Formats: sequence, structure tokens, C-alpha cells
Amino acid sequence: MDCQCCNKKPARIRICDVEENNIGEQINVCPDCFNLIKRYMFDITKPLMTTPDVIREVQGLLTAGETSLATLPEPGGITPVGKEPVPVCPDCGMSLSEFRARGRFGCPRDYEVFAEHLDPLFERIHDVQPARHQGHLPEKSGGEEVVQRRQTVADLRKRLDAAVAEENYELAARLRDQIAELESRPKAEERS
Amino acid sequence: MSEAFDNFPHILGEWLKGTGPDSDIVVSTRVRFARNVRGFPFTGRASDAQRSEVLKLCEDALKQVHLDRSVVTLELDKLPELKRDVLVERHLISRELASGEGPRGVTFGRGEMLSIMINEEDHLRLQWIKSGFDVDRAFHALCKVDRALEKTLPYATSDRYGYLTACPTNVGTGMRVSVMVHLPALTLKENIDQVFKAAQRMNHAVRGLYGEGTRAFGDMYQISNQTTLGRSEEQIVEAIKAIVPKILEFERQRRGQLYTEDRSFVEDKVLRSLALLRSARRLNVQEMMSHLSMLRLGVDLGIVADVPVRTLNELFILGQPSHLQESEGRMLPANERDTRRAELVRSRLAAGSN
Repeated sequence: MDCQCCNKKPARIRICDVEENNIGEQINVCPDCFNLIKRYMFDITKPLMTTPDVIREVQGLLTAGETSLATLPEPGGITPVGKEPVPVCPDCGMSLSEFRARGRFGCPRDYEVFAEHLDPLFERIHDVQPARHQGHLPEKSGGEEVVQRRQTVADLRKRLDAAVAEENYELAARLRDQIAELESRPKAEERS
Repeated sequence: MSEAFDNFPHILGEWLKGTGPDSDIVVSTRVRFARNVRGFPFTGRASDAQRSEVLKLCEDALKQVHLDRSVVTLELDKLPELKRDVLVERHLISRELASGEGPRGVTFGRGEMLSIMINEEDHLRLQWIKSGFDVDRAFHALCKVDRALEKTLPYATSDRYGYLTACPTNVGTGMRVSVMVHLPALTLKENIDQVFKAAQRMNHAVRGLYGEGTRAFGDMYQISNQTTLGRSEEQIVEAIKAIVPKILEFERQRRGQLYTEDRSFVEDKVLRSLALLRSARRLNVQEMMSHLSMLRLGVDLGIVADVPVRTLNELFILGQPSHLQESEGRMLPANERDTRRAELVRSRLAAGSN
């Protein structure tokens, strides 16, 4: 049997849509087309579609040729030639394609890094438009000091490592005392 | 280990007392908030060192808010599997936290209404359970804890998306309201699918007793909001307060119908269940739960008079496999568990014991 997508190569894989435990339309495709279909379905910026609809889109891309195929998201975070780099979070190393595959964020910063791709996803999941928070938020200052102190400690640790590497033990001792002092400092409320 | 935990299998949570609004159908109302600490990756992407740091930060913050003098705090990586499973059966922790890895913990109050999971999918999962249908009280009680915590713990938030969570389905308020209901008449009358579909249309889900992917043993279901972004906490509360009473009304109407139109059918079912529970020498969990369900219906319809709802609610928990094994102090093979379960049920339901 020929692939029902490219109509050229032999079909090896069958795709079934399942809805509420009923198996819907079944489509047989070749491995090459299957990869394209997978990449199309991975694109969370596109609305949910049935397989026949996805196939029509992929067929359109196939007739349009190489350059339009490059617009599909690449599984595994490989950047296609001539496309903007896939965003990767500088804090946790999560890439957009990894987020798509796992369905979980790696850290709060991902929400900024992937911002332009998130609204359509959130609108769909939460059935709401626009995808904007309503409701309570803590005051900005809440617990800010804990974060700052943590950042300072992390910074001092880096300098301590560098000082040890340079065998500057006098500086290292001073840095160590500063870290110890910061870490033992009581919380804001108790200090005042 | 704390003394509170050693006595654990025998003392049960406040929320099981079988009182509160609509307690003929609603077992409990639970509200939970998902929160994360700023400056750390979410649990799934955090190293053990980072998880330890989060655990410590959260535990310190919890100490500062002086929840209650009698809270129990447990570090789960130091707890044997059986004890972790007991906590799951009590609804104090999730299956995910029980079977997770690395530094993680739970803090709960003596009454087991408040429970705080640390390093679940999110750094913090705060929950409050009330007996009966009592969204407002559960919500306000949990808000108090959350507002106290936010003063010392820097939560990860954004103006655009609210509370930032590991899973995109929790972002925004991070809030889930979950109402545990007993729907035997709708199940008997085969109306339960209608309820599922109607709830779904209004962005609410109906699930089994122990959450996502679990079966609805004993005709117990959980109704919860599915969306957390773009609606305020108050709107989420109002939505559940609009939906649940409709389901309760439907269930009561079907109970009434059963009693007036099919009296001997329902009496027969209830009294057979009572006789079976009072006589059986071996009971598996499913059997126990389905007969307890009929008994609960019988108590509400006045067919059975001498069994309090609290006893039934407690048996639902105490008859679970890990509770039986914990009170026995060892792992038991399935047939021995069934024997112990039958003994437990017989002793608690014996005529004149309540």
C-alpha cells in the first residue's frame, strides 16, 4: 500500500485518532511522512487538529518544497537552517522543544524565555482569552531579602573558589567568614 | 520519628467526621494552592542539593508562621514505603510525592485538615480539607496560611501569568478546589456519564477517589476545576459552588426516586450489603468499598439506623491495604489482608458497637 500522505513510498505506519475510546479514521503513512506529521503535531503554537487535517497541511508543505518544510519545529531542539534559534532558557537549559515534549517547565524563567509561544497554549488549556492572570498576587517585596541573600552567598562562593584556586588564602578566609555570617543571619522580622 | 505518627493508623482526620453542609453526599471539600520558590528550578529539574535547599527554606518559613503547635513534619526520603503509602491513603500526600525521589517532605496539622507537601511537582502544595461541602471555610483557612508564608518566602510569580508552576495546567492562581462526593443513586441509575459530560462542558473534571487516573471505587468521585488562569480565586470558588449543588440535587432526586418507586430493590441492596459486611470472613478492597457505599446510601434513606456516617468514612480509609499493614506492623499477603479487613469491618459494624 502506498503512503496516504506523499502517495509515493510504501506505507509502514498506521495512525489512528482516538476520541472517547472510539477509534476514528485510520491512515497509513511512510516513515518519512510520519516524521513530518510528528513534527507538525509537536508545534504547540498550532491548534489541536485531527490527523486528516494535519496530513492535508503536510501535503501542502510537501508540494511547496524544502523551504516550507524547514518551518516545522525540529524534534530534539536541532535548529533548522535559516530559522531563528530555538529559545533555550539560560537559567535551567530547557529548550522550547524539550518543553513541548515533556509538557513541564524547568524553572520560572522559562515563562519569560518562551513567552511568545505560550499564549496560544494557555488559551487552549485554560479556555480563556486573553491568557492573563486574574486574582491574588503577593506584594513585590515579599521575601525579597531571602533571594538577595541567596544570590550574594552564591556570588561569594564563586569568589571563594577563585581565591582558593589562586591560592589567595587570606582573601579566601575573609570570604568564608562573610558567607558564614550571611548564612547564620536571622530572618528579617526577628532582626528588627 | 514523632509520637503522633506512631499512633497514626488509629487516629483519623477531622474531615472524616461526616458532618458539615450536605454531608449526606459530600464527604469533603479540599482546596489546594501550588507555589514555587523564586530563584530555583522546579522540582523536576532541581539537583538534590537544590531540593535540600528548597526543603530547608520552606521548613524555616513554616516554622516562622507558627501554624499550630502540633504540626507533624516528615522528611519522606527517610520514611519507609509503607508509611508513605499510609499518607497517600489519608489524602495527606499525593502518589507522586510518595514515589518521588530526593529530599522532599510533608507538614500537616494534628487534625489533618492542613497539609503542605514540599518538593512535589511544585516546591509547595498547600491543601486544606473540610468535612462536608464547605468551600468558603477551606479556602479562607488556606489563604491565611498562604498569606503568612508569602511574607517570608519569595514565591515565583509574574504579573502576566500569576503564580508560575511546573505544569502549564496549574499556572495563574495555582488553585484547585476538589469536592469528594458519594453518588450511589446516579451510579445505580446509570446517570453518571451525564454528570461527567455536564461537568466537562463547564471546565470541571470528575475523577476517582485518589485523583487523576484512579477508579471511582465505592461510588466516590472528585469534582474539581480544570482551569486556573484568567479566573480569580473567588471566581473559581463561585463556579464550584454553582456546579456541585446541581449534582447534589440530581443525586437526591434519584435517591428519592429509588426509595419511592423501587423501595424493595434498594432495601434489598442495602440490607444485603449490611449482612455481607457483618458476616464476611474475607473482603477485598473493592468489595468492601462497594458494600460500604450501599450502606452509606441506606443510612441516608433511613433503611439502616444504627451506623454513623463517620464509621463508614473511617472504614473507607482504615480498610485500605497500607493502613491494615501499618496497624499490623508488617507487610501482609493479599489473602491475609482480606481476612484482617473482614475482621475490622465486622468489629466496627457489629450490632450495638456504635
